[in-house]
Amino acid sequence: MLSIKNLQASVEDKQILKGLNLEVKAGEVHAIMGPNGAGKSTLGYVLSGREGYEVNGGEALLGETDLLDIEVEERAREGLFLAFQYPVEIPGVSNMEFMKAAVDAKREAAGEDALSSKEFLQRAKAACKQVNLPLEFLKRGVNEGFSGGEKKRNEIMQMMLLEPKLCILDETDSGLDIDALQVVAEGVNSQRSDDRAFIVVTHYQRLLDYIKPDFVHVLADGKIVKSGGPELALELEAQGYAWLDNGAEA
Amino acid sequence: MSVWLQTLKEGAKARIDDARTPVAERGAQLLKDAVWPTRKTEAWKYTSLHTLSDTDFAVGKTARANAQTIEGLDSSDLLFDGVRWHLPDQFEAGVKVATFSNLSPLEQSEIAADMMPVKPGRHLFGAINDLMVQDILVIDVEADAATTRPLRVVMNAIEGAVQHGRVWVRVAKGAKVEIIEQAEGEGQGLSTLISEYLVGDHAKLCHSRFQLVGGEHHAVGGCHIKLGEFARLRSTLVGFGSQMSRLDVDVEHAASHALAEMDAIYLLQGDELFDLHSTIEHAVPNGTTDENVRGIVTDSAKAVFNGRIHIHRDAQKTLAELNNRNLLLSDSARVSTKPELEIYADDVKCAHGATVAELDEEAIYYLQSRGISERDAKVMLNFGFINELVDKMPNEALGDWLRSKLKARFESMNKVDA
Repeated sequence: MLSIKNLQASVEDKQILKGLNLEVKAGEVHAIMGPNGAGKSTLGYVLSGREGYEVNGGEALLGETDLLDIEVEERAREGLFLAFQYPVEIPGVSNMEFMKAAVDAKREAAGEDALSSKEFLQRAKAACKQVNLPLEFLKRGVNEGFSGGEKKRNEIMQMMLLEPKLCILDETDSGLDIDALQVVAEGVNSQRSDDRAFIVVTHYQRLLDYIKPDFVHVLADGKIVKSGGPELALELEAQGYAWLDNGAEA
Repeated sequence: MSVWLQTLKEGAKARIDDARTPVAERGAQLLKDAVWPTRKTEAWKYTSLHTLSDTDFAVGKTARANAQTIEGLDSSDLLFDGVRWHLPDQFEAGVKVATFSNLSPLEQSEIAADMMPVKPGRHLFGAINDLMVQDILVIDVEADAATTRPLRVVMNAIEGAVQHGRVWVRVAKGAKVEIIEQAEGEGQGLSTLISEYLVGDHAKLCHSRFQLVGGEHHAVGGCHIKLGEFARLRSTLVGFGSQMSRLDVDVEHAASHALAEMDAIYLLQGDELFDLHSTIEHAVPNGTTDENVRGIVTDSAKAVFNGRIHIHRDAQKTLAELNNRNLLLSDSARVSTKPELEIYADDVKCAHGATVAELDEEAIYYLQSRGISERDAKVMLNFGFINELVDKMPNEALGDWLRSKLKARFESMNKVDA
């Protein structure tokens, strides 16, 4: 589903990704862990096409599509979804209006008719219910005045409505207490399926107790330096990231 | 002295001798020594009148008076045809609507005594309107009348014409009314629409002014409002630009404990101009003013905002806030903003501020990352910025109508990297 080869990217002339390789197949959940500053968030931004993140080598294919060659919104319509670490507040634009426009844009790109308001509302209500967001949040400004946990739940709600092929969760656990974490994790788990893949980017092992990965990768200094099964996360939890400085290689 | 103003005064002379209304006489008096504004005139510093001084529009030209209905809004429509007002036969209980010329001499002198002091004399086009207006629309709302049907005043631009509309509204003690003033259309010409409101003690006025004329039209408007004790004003002003579009707003807290909540919106494109001047006078204690002005300007359009809150020495315990926020969508769009607080009382809470910014790139990216195109994202952000104020309008049907107008405007204002 996702094939990243030798990806290199810089921000303001500083090289962040230095030849990253990653293969993700449909139905899989991959966790990417690593110390601060390793390039974890950069990976999500580069794949989604954020301005200011300059790709200077390598490739990233989503299915047959060369992601790096198309606009931000086209990547989303192709099935890429990035759950933000810090979702943006947009006062005056209701969550409902925002998601209706997003879902319509995706359907239009796929040659499908727009959903009727009624049908969309039904889906939006169901998604809210699943992540335990009160329905009034559909009418409120996008993320406006939401708590940290509510913002993260709102991201997952959006993910449910957009039905992406590949979801990247960028430090979705940050700033969440254990109850909020469980709700978010349940939301994510409910979306796991054979034709959908996840990349869970996190600093801590904690989230992986709730979202069980198939593979765990360690990202350090712009590269995947070690890959393994779920046990690797526990190892990291016990040992920290300090051993990476000792020149460990995958 | 401009030829334009001179011609106008000479043309009006015969009519004044004829009509002899106190309003026309005052206009003539005010204009006697009037100086045609130049760049050195503070009130017209950023807005030139040169496009007007060369014109020769016809006076007294009329057009069919009509207005599109607003979906879901059950309003009584008061339509101006360029010279006369066209009124429905019946009104809600407690509301009396007539034109000044149809009132008895006694009624005329009584309402003139009440309404003449509301508009300050300093407004040049207010004085021109005084002098030129043929008939004044008079709306009287009886004491304690809790009306539910909005009154809608409509005066659209007429191609090639000069027209002067005037509205007097008296909301008696404890009454409640909603008044909508609406002007649309384009084409060369000049329209002045001046409205004056006397809001009695404990009375409530819900007010909207939509100055949506465009193109080559010159539009000058005035909304002048005087608030009694515990009076409540809730006002929404919306301006689209034209060759020259100007709106002067005055709110006077004439008695204590009045509340003025005022929101203003302007959306400009092409080489349009919109110039909003507002003056709030707090002459007495315990008044509250909350004024929020937001604008979006693109292409080489120009916005002018001059907002002044004047707190007199006796106006202790005044709460006043004035805020102007602008979004510029292009390099050559311009905003001249000047929020002013002038405070002579020592026990007040006041704040004012102005910002000029561009669209938030992070927010555009966030919307795009959900599949929304860059252009749609920009339109959505524009809309959100303004919609925060539209959401505050108490009349939902009117708010919905306005949103559709604004959306159409944003569509034409946002071209991707043109």
